[in-house]
Amino acid sequence: MRAALRRFLRRLSLAVTCIAGAVIAGLWLTPYDPAAADFLDRLSPPTAQHWAGTDHLGRDIATRLLHGGLWSLGLSLTITAFGLVTGTLIGIIAAQSGRIGDFAIMRVTDSFFAFPELVAAVAVAGIFGPSTVNLVIALMIVSWMKFTRLARTLALTTSKQDFVTQARLNGLSQARILLVHILPNILPSILVLGTNSWSRTILAISGLSFLGFGVQPPQSEWGAMLLDGKPYMQSAPHLMIFPGLTVLISVLAINLAGDRLRDLLAPQSM
Amino acid sequence: MTHALIRLTGLFVVIFGIALITFALAHFAPGDKAQAIAHARYPDAMGIPPQILIDIRAEFRLDDPFHLHFLNWFGQVLRGDFGVSYSSGERVWAIFLGSLGETVTLTITSLVFGLTGAFILASLAARYPGSIIDRAAVVIASVGAAMPGFWLALLLILAFAVHLQWLPAYGTGTAAHLVLPALTLALWVMASQTRLLRSFFLDARAQPFMETLRLRGHSESELFYRHTLRHAMAPALTMIGLDFASLMEGAIIIELTFARSGIGSLFAASVLSRDLPLVMFLVMFFAVIYVLINTSVELVQRLSDPRMSEGNGP
Amino acid sequence: MLSVDNLTVRTQGKTLVQGVSLTVQPGQMLCIIGESGAGKSTVIKALQGLMPGTCDHFRFDPIGLDLKGALPDMVGLPNTRWVMQDPLAALDPRFRLGRSVAESLHRLNLPVDERLSRVKSALETVELGPEFADRFPTEVSMGQAQRACLARAMIAEPRLIFFDEPLSALDALVQKKIARRMDELRRQTGMAYVVVTHDLGFAATYADHIILLRQGHMEASQTREAFFIRPANAYARALIDAARNLGALPESQVA
Repeated sequence: MRAALRRFLRRLSLAVTCIAGAVIAGLWLTPYDPAAADFLDRLSPPTAQHWAGTDHLGRDIATRLLHGGLWSLGLSLTITAFGLVTGTLIGIIAAQSGRIGDFAIMRVTDSFFAFPELVAAVAVAGIFGPSTVNLVIALMIVSWMKFTRLARTLALTTSKQDFVTQARLNGLSQARILLVHILPNILPSILVLGTNSWSRTILAISGLSFLGFGVQPPQSEWGAMLLDGKPYMQSAPHLMIFPGLTVLISVLAINLAGDRLRDLLAPQSM
Repeated sequence: MTHALIRLTGLFVVIFGIALITFALAHFAPGDKAQAIAHARYPDAMGIPPQILIDIRAEFRLDDPFHLHFLNWFGQVLRGDFGVSYSSGERVWAIFLGSLGETVTLTITSLVFGLTGAFILASLAARYPGSIIDRAAVVIASVGAAMPGFWLALLLILAFAVHLQWLPAYGTGTAAHLVLPALTLALWVMASQTRLLRSFFLDARAQPFMETLRLRGHSESELFYRHTLRHAMAPALTMIGLDFASLMEGAIIIELTFARSGIGSLFAASVLSRDLPLVMFLVMFFAVIYVLINTSVELVQRLSDPRMSEGNGP
Repeated sequence: MLSVDNLTVRTQGKTLVQGVSLTVQPGQMLCIIGESGAGKSTVIKALQGLMPGTCDHFRFDPIGLDLKGALPDMVGLPNTRWVMQDPLAALDPRFRLGRSVAESLHRLNLPVDERLSRVKSALETVELGPEFADRFPTEVSMGQAQRACLARAMIAEPRLIFFDEPLSALDALVQKKIARRMDELRRQTGMAYVVVTHDLGFAATYADHIILLRQGHMEASQTREAFFIRPANAYARALIDAARNLGALPESQVA
């Protein structure tokens, strides 16, 4: 199982490196500026010069998609990483806090968990003004609860395991047991949830930007590009086909990687 | 018994927490609330005299410290008084009830069609594992989970409203207006539930007692309809309950994309106009509904399955 | 070495064990037998301070403990170790065996090379080659994993080891080999064993003293010879007869 896991992680990091390399190379090689308008070449369908066509201001869509990838993937990864670290930490603290502390922490978590992500993000980003920063803050506020719940449950079950009892009998401190026994054993499941959360965050960012609550045009974020292209749906459908397809493919790829990771970490292969 | 008591206490604590978070959001919102209230009250006034603003500040206790202001507001909420909208001056309850119907129609229609589709697809897939239908179900589920709902909506508009011109794209009103939004949401429901139902069906098929029944000579279809389905229903119902939040999110996105009226577009409009009483009410509505649905799902589960022992609840 | 009078364990209003007394001398093996749910494991958990218990008198010589009332909290003392039933649960799946074994030395703060050499010799005492130190629990057989657990208990040179059904997860041939090795080791080192088992054959072969529990009460406390020749009561006799009819007792005890 370990060999398979290591092979998977190697392939994954190879794939990520390749994609990141391709994006950076693409951004460097492309002759176009994502923000440069060209009014002589508006709404052009895909051609040899413009692989994904141009938008209503004559900007090269392929270049904008590459640029938008930095936004969508980077922001979503930052938000997810924040949620993963914060949430896991709070969950582990809850699991160690005894009945009353655990009750208090988990009811606070439940209170936050009750707000559907999109509702909370729309409310925060809308009331404090739609902008990229407010979008990120809004999504961070709702990013940690599921990690807290999972980490707490896993930490509680793991700390009842025989090998933890052995460690305690061997005189290891509670902090050391957490660090060397509990954390490494719960981390894989947390990472699987992390990939799931990452792809959901990409969907949320593009969705909120499309609805006008997130990254604002003329920024080349995928959802914002869709919002930009919506009025030209009839005359130039490529304006909305390509950004949507890009979101779909990125999310699909992350989901499939997450599924594979989960299969590799499933108990029967341990 | 003590468990039920702890659960009930927890429920109240969570609802209190939801109220506190909601209130904090509104409390720290930028903008002068007194000005907004005055505009709601005197929509035709050109300028608001300073004395009126001072009176409003006193009446709504806007200058109270956070905790007093909160307790005052929470007391009103507990009495069912959510105040009046800043922008229209109507009671928040009345505005909400006026929009509820459209959203309920949309979600119920999509749930019925989406779940039916998911059920048929998943049961066929589980009945013939490895077949073309099974593979198609897996592909539909994976692609569906990665599909941005608003993009699916745009594609359907492009196909059925722009090119074929069979159906209207935007707005509310006739049954024809309902078709595309409901189809989008139903496809979404179908994709997410097919995956879960399929795995529940497969789990149920793999149960040891199924093998015993098979050896006793029960036919494959009899086994499926009499046992697999029943066995898979309990986890499926739980998941459908838990996925309520996604359904709400889907409804909001769909309503906005199709420019329909309903709770979702009401929510977006109230947020953009900073109509705080309405925003607070809707945010609390979504959160409290979610908590209540999950608590009742857990309750049903506990009542129907004696194996669920104490302490498994969140 | 260890002596307990009238041990009682209660949790959440239920009495799990009542009136159990036991004594074990250096180099001796005490077997606690009984059906599942008789409270065997509860006794050794309470003795290690993992469950709350009270007694009339408690003596543990290696650290000069002599007291009554609530049981002392022995968690983390270097003088006792515990070998559990399921080696795969008792070993962290993410630790190589060598690291699990070395964890037993945590309190001693040894330099790295001394720790390594002690791990190696501990593995040797349980007949595992040094290459096992680098394997994960999932990469070895159940018997090898249980040997590693035994090495983990031995390495700290405790005066007393508790065993909780140490052989029941293993197949018969491996059971016999490990049981024999356990027996040799206590004779060589003078460690005392308290072994919980439902395997009468094991008790009949290796125990010095046998305690029979039934529903939390002590039914019998006799030397091995006395237990098998003159059982204290009808329940013990019935148990011995059942094991004999199954052929589960060794030749010497079949008389």
